[in-house]
Amino acid sequence: MNDSAQPETLDQFREAVLSYEQVLVVGRQTKPALSSTAAPTLSTERLSGIIQYEPSEFTFTALAGTTIAEIEATLSSRGQFLPFDPPLSKAGATIGGAVAAGLSGPGRMRFGGIRDFLLGVRFLSGQGDWIDSGGKVVKNAAGFDLPKFLVGSLGRYAAMAELTFKVFPAPPSLKTLCVRCASHTQALQRMSAVANSRWEPYAIDYQPSEHHVLIKLGGPSEAIESISQEIHSHWPGEADDVADAEAIWSRVLSLEFADQRLDTLLKVPTTGKTMVQLCESLQDQSGVCVHVSLAGQLTWISASDAARLRSIETLLLSLGLSGLVVRGEHDCLLGRQVSTEMQRAVKTAMDPGERFPRWPTNPSTD
Amino acid sequence: MESLESLAALFPASRFVQDAAFQAAFESDGLTAFRAKPRAVVIPETVDEVIQTVRWCHEHSVPFVARGSGTSLSGGSLPVADGIVITLNRLKRIIRLDPDERIAVVEPGVVNQHVSDAAAPYGLYYAPDPSSQSICTIGGNVAFNSGGAHCLKYGMTSNHVIGCKAVLATGEVVTMGGESLETVGPDFTGLFVGSEGLFGVALEITLRLLPKPECFHTVLVGYESLQAAGDAVSAVIDSGLLPGALEIMDALSIEAAEAAVACGYPPGAAAVLIVELEGPREKIDQERQQLDDVLAGTGAFAQRVAVDNADRLFIWKGRKSAFSAVGRLSPDFLVQDGVVPRKRLGEALVRIEQLSEESGLRVANVFHAGDGNLHPLIMFDGSEPGALHRAEELAAKLLRLCIEMGGSITGEHGVGMEKRDFLNEMYDEASVQMMHRIRQAMDPKLIANPGKMFPGNEAPALSTVGLHPLEEAGVISRE
Repeated sequence: MNDSAQPETLDQFREAVLSYEQVLVVGRQTKPALSSTAAPTLSTERLSGIIQYEPSEFTFTALAGTTIAEIEATLSSRGQFLPFDPPLSKAGATIGGAVAAGLSGPGRMRFGGIRDFLLGVRFLSGQGDWIDSGGKVVKNAAGFDLPKFLVGSLGRYAAMAELTFKVFPAPPSLKTLCVRCASHTQALQRMSAVANSRWEPYAIDYQPSEHHVLIKLGGPSEAIESISQEIHSHWPGEADDVADAEAIWSRVLSLEFADQRLDTLLKVPTTGKTMVQLCESLQDQSGVCVHVSLAGQLTWISASDAARLRSIETLLLSLGLSGLVVRGEHDCLLGRQVSTEMQRAVKTAMDPGERFPRWPTNPSTD
Repeated sequence: MESLESLAALFPASRFVQDAAFQAAFESDGLTAFRAKPRAVVIPETVDEVIQTVRWCHEHSVPFVARGSGTSLSGGSLPVADGIVITLNRLKRIIRLDPDERIAVVEPGVVNQHVSDAAAPYGLYYAPDPSSQSICTIGGNVAFNSGGAHCLKYGMTSNHVIGCKAVLATGEVVTMGGESLETVGPDFTGLFVGSEGLFGVALEITLRLLPKPECFHTVLVGYESLQAAGDAVSAVIDSGLLPGALEIMDALSIEAAEAAVACGYPPGAAAVLIVELEGPREKIDQERQQLDDVLAGTGAFAQRVAVDNADRLFIWKGRKSAFSAVGRLSPDFLVQDGVVPRKRLGEALVRIEQLSEESGLRVANVFHAGDGNLHPLIMFDGSEPGALHRAEELAAKLLRLCIEMGGSITGEHGVGMEKRDFLNEMYDEASVQMMHRIRQAMDPKLIANPGKMFPGNEAPALSTVGLHPLEEAGVISRE
């Protein structure tokens, strides 16, 4: 953060953004690799607060710098929650940062990701115009869906100021089971079986180093007890109730996957098959730890240092995968990148004067 | 005018059509108020033929409209006069269905229902279910981000499209998203879905499939006032339940449905509410108790629970047939799909009633109450001089009402031709300009489905009235 005052109001925010020739708007930088750019940064830390919350509408609107923790506490007091389960809440992550980074947690399994719950965004264009996109009601098909486009846009296209989300009632109770597997392949088969089952799991994660599949169930306690019994009898002797589930999920949401702190963290969208290939290739490497969410559709790789990322990148390229470096001293994109004329044209349309930095490139693949 | 010779050369004669009688079938879509004559209709059978056609149109600056089954209710697939219609119904392959990854990769001409049919043997289904799902295509669903009765819980089409290969209006072929639920980088797939065909043509779409809910619990509830039905919806939501569907019909639409399909709704009801819970049987066993307790306090005078799947479908039959049934009450009608915040539903309905009385036109109401998505059906007789104009004026007032209440001009039908004059009432000038700039980035020559979404007269059309022929035949219905 620069030494200039942090904006607290929308007017101040606009003024601050326009005072820079080029600026990257950031939240609380809990995902530091995403803001490693030569451009100065402007924090939304004090552009914070829930502007509107209508529990009976399943919607709220908050300023970009509002912490996820504050939002979760407010929703929880009315029995509601953020179904997309954004990570790094305890570290102080903001809702604007979660959208810019495009990160969802294990709970994405049940109802969808951050893209699926973002309804509207008020943002500042590079030219300083306030742009309203999407809406404030749970259903809207008017105009282009710019809110979705901003998910994962890393602050390179617009400066988000105010965001509206859909929320859901929280499940009355939760329960987590662990299923022990013999191999990554078997784990994938079992995760698919759970994902395709009648059980409506809230999360299906996998700890490759232990070959443990974690299944989170949600709903009325009697119902999930009965479903959990069925899971036990489905894999007799191989499923256990997890006693310290809250601690486990809390670590997953903190994106802490290894016993010791590994400095570098990478998000890799995968399919079940590529997840297995990644797990197999990385399992014997020291200083590398893998965690899998969404029944195989999201693989997190933490590594002891950025140097290891080079070999990981080679692996990603060989599998045709892309990665996003969330923590670590490295450019934030890794692996396969496809740049198209369309991307350049949209950048020009939204931010012709490049008030916001260009989309980062990956030097090793360009 | 540009010669079409080199375009015609891309197709065998039978699939490049300029015959007036044949083309008449493509003059209109589900919004029959508008018609326009295309210059030619091309019938590609391969993705490559679509790409070649779009590139030809780009090179020669000729406008094109891609269309599937033409069920758009906003005039979204209305041809451009003197443009090319690219009809995609023959691109109907389900390229791949992977039950382990829970995805289906489909061509744009695949019918919505066929995806669920193909997924059914694996216990999976494709969640978005617009009322026209037995005929509408995935390509059209993608273009208009189609909805249905289950959007509160499951979201719209956009929430179920994880990847898309498309040819942009520039001829560039792009691949957005992929086969994973997660992505890196801005969500171009999300931007493409709902772009109303203004960016280009989807060629291959990757859909996410869900496991079919094990159990349904469907309740039909009768009320003596619309207000009471609306309050019941709020009570259900406030209780912490998340029903798959929450639908309301008013007296006029009940009357129409009853006359059309004898659906056995409670006689004398001023409104009926359909609530549907779905999920594992153990959950439903618990939640149905909770729902009963909530409904007991809502002043209902009649209540019926579907006893089996046939009975459930019977309850839904009245709802699903409501629109075509209204056709029995009136020679013509317009349908809007504006959205208001749910807590203002009651207020909106009172205002609709007042506006209806002022205009002297009857309005029947059927709506997705769970997400505040209204569907007022404005009835009129097109043969009466000035009647269409009065109906359109009333429709405009209803759209403005939705904007004023903080809602949207369209929940699921899209802006299309019909509501293009209202986009800049919902969004301010800078916001509309931003959308326009993005459109130009994708389509600098403005040849892809021009005349839709944005205000103006890029592609004026003739207007007319009447039920869609397929609607008259009961094949399609409006939602």
